[in-house]
Amino acid sequence: MKFKKKPLDSEIFTGSMADITFLLIIFFMVTMAFSSNRGIDFALPEDTTSAPEISQEESVDVLVLPGPVDGPPVIQVDGRTMPINQLLPYVADKLKQNPKKPVILRTDPGAVYGNMVAVFDELRQAETKVGMKIETISIPTQREIENIWTLLGIGP
Amino acid sequence: MNLARGRSLKTEARVFTGSMADIIFLLIIFFVITYKVEVDKTHMDLPDTMVRQTIPESEKPAWIAIAPRSEGYLIRVSTGEEMSLPIGTDEELVTFASTEVARDPDKDFIIKADKEVPYERFDAVLDALKQSKVKNIYLLSDQKTVDG
Repeated sequence: MKFKKKPLDSEIFTGSMADITFLLIIFFMVTMAFSSNRGIDFALPEDTTSAPEISQEESVDVLVLPGPVDGPPVIQVDGRTMPINQLLPYVADKLKQNPKKPVILRTDPGAVYGNMVAVFDELRQAETKVGMKIETISIPTQREIENIWTLLGIGP
Repeated sequence: MNLARGRSLKTEARVFTGSMADIIFLLIIFFVITYKVEVDKTHMDLPDTMVRQTIPESEKPAWIAIAPRSEGYLIRVSTGEEMSLPIGTDEELVTFASTEVARDPDKDFIIKADKEVPYERFDAVLDALKQSKVKNIYLLSDQKTVDG
């Protein structure tokens, strides 16, 4: 007696592949974040333990005062209150005599972080706005400022 | 003649789905390539700046996030490889930064802070980083437009 051999179906079931791929797409779409990692770079001094060599007279002192969060920052430059748009012409004039003169950016503890960043951003644009690069912008911390005052023997 | 009165030719209405698999795979490949885990998901209003540099991702910089007032100015830290965790004191921040610098002396640090954060909170973070001998930091910002 002859038996007929039944041919076996060799097939991979791909019916659920669409479900899996859609699941993967939805997962990636929900969890992905477009890279927005951009910001202002700021190099810190190599050694903070040594005594500061910069005295206030040899530098441009910019003090950020408490002001509106979204409005223009309120600043005092070398003790004089001035609008932010006059900061760079003033600094450029000072740096003409000595381009290596550092700019010290101090911020009142009562001000907000956004105000300080706005002034720092303005100083970083010196090259494009007034054609002069500020080589050193120093942002001392409150502890460092107090140390300097102690060294100079003056109170805040 | 085959054409009978009242009889019309049937047109097949079918959407061709043959290329759907290709499109889906293309999308998956795009998402796999561009996928990046965000180490800190704290929602905040970053300050706007004109000067913005791309932060190098190759060395996986460490993250320090200062949350807005609604979250109590909470500080969260991340090594750049895992999700950010909250810390309680400034001493813990110094310990974290010192550990990271000991592991890699050239480690970059990203500070992600809300623009309404009081400056003294940022000052405490900056002081901790200076104490830990951090060399380079990035202040995360949004793009400022000319009209403000």
